[in-house]
Amino acid sequence: MKISLNWLKDYIDLSGIAVSEIADKLTMSGLEVEDIVNQNEIYKDFIVGYVKEKKKHPNADKLSLCTVSTGIEEYQVICGAPNVDAEQKVVFAPIGTIIPKGNFKIGKAKIRGVESFGMICSEAELELSEDHSGIMVLTNDVKEGTPITEALNLNDVIFEIGITPNRPDALSHIGVARDLAAIFNLELKSPSIELKEEAEDIGKYAAVEIIDKINCPRYTSKVVTGVTIKDSPEWLKTRLKNIGLRPINNVVDVSNYVMYETGQPLHAFDLNNLNGNKIVVRSTAKETNFVTLDSKDRKLPAETLMICDAEKDVAVAGVMGGENSEVSNDTKNILIESAYFNPSSIRKTSKLIGLSTEASYRFERGIDPNNTDFSAKRAAKLISELSGGRVAKGIIDVYPEKIERREVRIRFARIIKILGFEISKDTILDVLKKLGVKIIFESEEELHVSVPTFRPDIEREIDLIEEIARINGYDNIPTQNKISITLDEKVDEAGPIDRIRDISISLGFFEIIDNPLQSEKLSLLTGIPIKILNPQSLDMAFLRTSLITGGLETISRNIKVGEKNLSLFEIGHVFNKKTDNEIKSFDDFSEENKIIFLITGLASKKGWNHPEIEVNFYDFKGKLKEFEYNFLLDNVLNDSYYHSGDRIFDYKYVKSYKNTVIGSGGKIKKEILKLFDIEQDVLCFEFNIDLLKQIPAKIKAFTEPNKFPKVFRDFAFIFDKKVKYSDVRVFIKEKGSEILKSVEIFDLFESERLGEDKKSMAFSLEYYSNDRTLTEEEVEKDFTNLISQIEKKFDARLRGN
Amino acid sequence: MLDEKINNIKVSFESEIEKVKNSKQLEDARIKYLSRNGLIANLFEELKTVPKEDKPLFGKELNSLRASVTDKFNSIKEKIESDSASVESEIDLTLPGIPVQIGRKHLLTQTLDEIRSIFKGMGFSVSEGPEIESDYNNFEALNFPHDHPARDMQDTFFLSKDFLLRTHTSPVQIRVMENHQPPVRVIMPGRCYRNEAISSRSFCMFHQVEGLYVDTDVTFCELKGTLVGFAKQFYGENLKYRFRPSFFPFTEPSAEMDITCFLCGGKGCRVCKMSGWLEILGCGMVDPNVFKYVDYDPEKYTGYAFGMGIERIGLLKYNIPDIRIYFENDLRFLMQF
Repeated sequence: MKISLNWLKDYIDLSGIAVSEIADKLTMSGLEVEDIVNQNEIYKDFIVGYVKEKKKHPNADKLSLCTVSTGIEEYQVICGAPNVDAEQKVVFAPIGTIIPKGNFKIGKAKIRGVESFGMICSEAELELSEDHSGIMVLTNDVKEGTPITEALNLNDVIFEIGITPNRPDALSHIGVARDLAAIFNLELKSPSIELKEEAEDIGKYAAVEIIDKINCPRYTSKVVTGVTIKDSPEWLKTRLKNIGLRPINNVVDVSNYVMYETGQPLHAFDLNNLNGNKIVVRSTAKETNFVTLDSKDRKLPAETLMICDAEKDVAVAGVMGGENSEVSNDTKNILIESAYFNPSSIRKTSKLIGLSTEASYRFERGIDPNNTDFSAKRAAKLISELSGGRVAKGIIDVYPEKIERREVRIRFARIIKILGFEISKDTILDVLKKLGVKIIFESEEELHVSVPTFRPDIEREIDLIEEIARINGYDNIPTQNKISITLDEKVDEAGPIDRIRDISISLGFFEIIDNPLQSEKLSLLTGIPIKILNPQSLDMAFLRTSLITGGLETISRNIKVGEKNLSLFEIGHVFNKKTDNEIKSFDDFSEENKIIFLITGLASKKGWNHPEIEVNFYDFKGKLKEFEYNFLLDNVLNDSYYHSGDRIFDYKYVKSYKNTVIGSGGKIKKEILKLFDIEQDVLCFEFNIDLLKQIPAKIKAFTEPNKFPKVFRDFAFIFDKKVKYSDVRVFIKEKGSEILKSVEIFDLFESERLGEDKKSMAFSLEYYSNDRTLTEEEVEKDFTNLISQIEKKFDARLRGN
Repeated sequence: MLDEKINNIKVSFESEIEKVKNSKQLEDARIKYLSRNGLIANLFEELKTVPKEDKPLFGKELNSLRASVTDKFNSIKEKIESDSASVESEIDLTLPGIPVQIGRKHLLTQTLDEIRSIFKGMGFSVSEGPEIESDYNNFEALNFPHDHPARDMQDTFFLSKDFLLRTHTSPVQIRVMENHQPPVRVIMPGRCYRNEAISSRSFCMFHQVEGLYVDTDVTFCELKGTLVGFAKQFYGENLKYRFRPSFFPFTEPSAEMDITCFLCGGKGCRVCKMSGWLEILGCGMVDPNVFKYVDYDPEKYTGYAFGMGIERIGLLKYNIPDIRIYFENDLRFLMQF
């Protein structure tokens, strides 16, 4: 919210306090100053210029060559604006001036061969409005050479303050001034509401009836008759413009002005358009249509709080007025509404119809219910002064049940328990007094206080403790320089993931983090996706059902920038629906933590002493095995393989533990890759980390390394092509004696010489015993036995030496 | 006699060994002088024949001869071996080594790891929670009432009336407190989602680390001390800081912690919006209403909570211009950290 320093000074004497100190103190008391615009600083170099002469640029059709006088000197200036003309008063930026829009410095320029010594500015360049259709033309009564800070009243400081939702009281200049008064220990002055009222009583002009008293606890009105709608005076326009508002007319401007002054949203009705000269506040019984003053036809749900006249709806209470009763240029008599509405009712309406306004913003956060009359009077005074209208005598104030100041108890011991240090009782009493809190009862242990109604956020003891800490200053809270550590068991739930990640990077994989929000098309590829009810776009309307799609998108993006050789992994949650119903419990969907490995391109580029190696299944499989060993410390997962029947994979590789699938992957089908514009092969494998973590890891125990010599034997057989490696290996392990410790394949080939349906597999066998040196005979016996068994079992032929 | 022989061997060895240029000549010298049947060994044989009274003297001289010849021989041997090695392998050592690929952790993970390790050192446990949360855990139990403007602070992706993508890691606080009695001292890292327009400074998902400490005597002084301790370890010992009042529904009093802008050192720059300060985290004392939701006695227990965004740290620390760079996973980015 924008707060003007000049405006603040109406209520508080800040003379002698530096702008930076004001900003700092506001920030340190919870009203965070996010930006400061010091107009005196920004506009210091701009001056009023007089266009003495305008000629066409000799070398450019659309440019003008102007002579600008500042009273003392004359400058040759090139201007591209269509509206520049001789005898205009303009805003002139001499060389060296910094232009606010774009933050650049004016230098001497040569444009199409002609020199230019400065710039004539538009409102947009000055950041005074969005208007960049032409230069800003000033009224003729300003004298050339005058600084524009003076000529245009640009001598304010504007603070941009971030107001947290708990501080509706600070959504106005008086509200901010009130905090400043407490911080700097200054007096707060109220604006004048002294009125000249006519003899005619307000009751003669209008009446108010509240039907929905729950949602409208108070409705206050003033009536001003015989107004002339016209532009507001410059001082009012300047104030509104400085806080970013567009002046409209004297009545609308005053209602805005008073809202930014007191925090009370106001609405001005054209009284002549209120049938029966009556205001009725009630909620709609059924869905209705209504045209708001922004000319939009809106559908209002049932139970919307409305302001009505005797016959029709005239405003959506607390949100926006209606087109049928808005103030127009012909308006003569007006009714000012200054009401207090139930915050949650206004919030509900604003949310349901999708319309948030400065008024609804304040009402839903909670305004002061006991200030409506003050604000109505203030607005009536200003409107009558600026429009020549007459204020009807008295005020309509329907307030059936007064909202009283809230009473709260605060214990001194509790302040120490929360904050950790003692604040003197005098300081506490002083802070509370500055905040408008009244002491009802006081003892050694506690205070009973009543809280002003402009602070709806202060309801409990803890709220008061915060106020005391805030105004006393967080800087004054000691910073403890040691902590005690409890000796209960410490748990790191992220620990296993750490190990998984460490192993993955050691295997050469780079970690990626993808956006889990994706399109329906992608999320449907790998599961039953959960839809987001209010997505930003269709591309991000569903949650990922696996890590595959995000991984492929990453691969695709990288290939497009020339990174074609990729080893990636991602750890993240994936989400699937378990039922068709709306999600009502955690049982309706699954959320699993997974890790995916993806490889594509070259495993190793061609080097000066090694060939290029493309990634292949066996390379990938080896890494997965290493991952598994490292994490589980034992070979406990069972591998299985499928050559067809999958939507995603050409062939599929599955790892399971005791019949539960722990992970799966394989080579991704071309048609899937096509969806991602990927033309090279991609292999991937996804593990379920939640399941992986549950598998008991092998218990670490020392085994003495073998001390006796090992004996190696090799053999090779010609097999039928259909014979699987793993069947042979399992068979050898099974038939070999206790001294056969390891079987490894070391050669595999097919050739015409072997026969069309044949292949050769060569195995290396390792024999040893942990308690003795083996004899040649016992190894030979086992070896020859295996040869004959294999020949018989697989119909294989031992290859001759 | 023997005396003379010793001297002769010494002289001839020294002149011959100087001429040795390769391992062949070296071996010849070894055989001639130092082998089992070499000249020195022969002299030891002769020693047996000298008179008994002369034996100690000659024995000593012989031993000293053998030692000096062996030393000299070995030093020449070393020289020849190293010379021949360098001669034999005239390899081009400037050729590149064979590349080995080791992966990298994502920058966000690295940052999270660092934060986690600091807090673990201060006696914090680490807990995690799901990304799909109930409205109750994400808002209600954290003292965000329904229909309250505080909910506008966190634009939410809804999956159903009562389920959503968590907007912060704070619901893990509720999960932890529902399952443990105080003392509870835990940090809770994780991914969160906000329905905010995507730009260079905000993305629809991000990562947070949440912290919570509840016991019978936890105070704002300790909150300040702990977070200052963290910030000094993470950002540097000499850092300046400030705590300023803020608002979060689940803490009261609430604060935001700023540190001196590490780009401009507090003078004011584009990154700190000319203020000289950078906001690094939000924190506060756990609101008594939250304790009521998890059935802790708010009269007995007090606690603090804090939360910080991870993406922001990298944007500031490494001058990353756009938050989306984290999630594009360009290999050239991943390899930088």
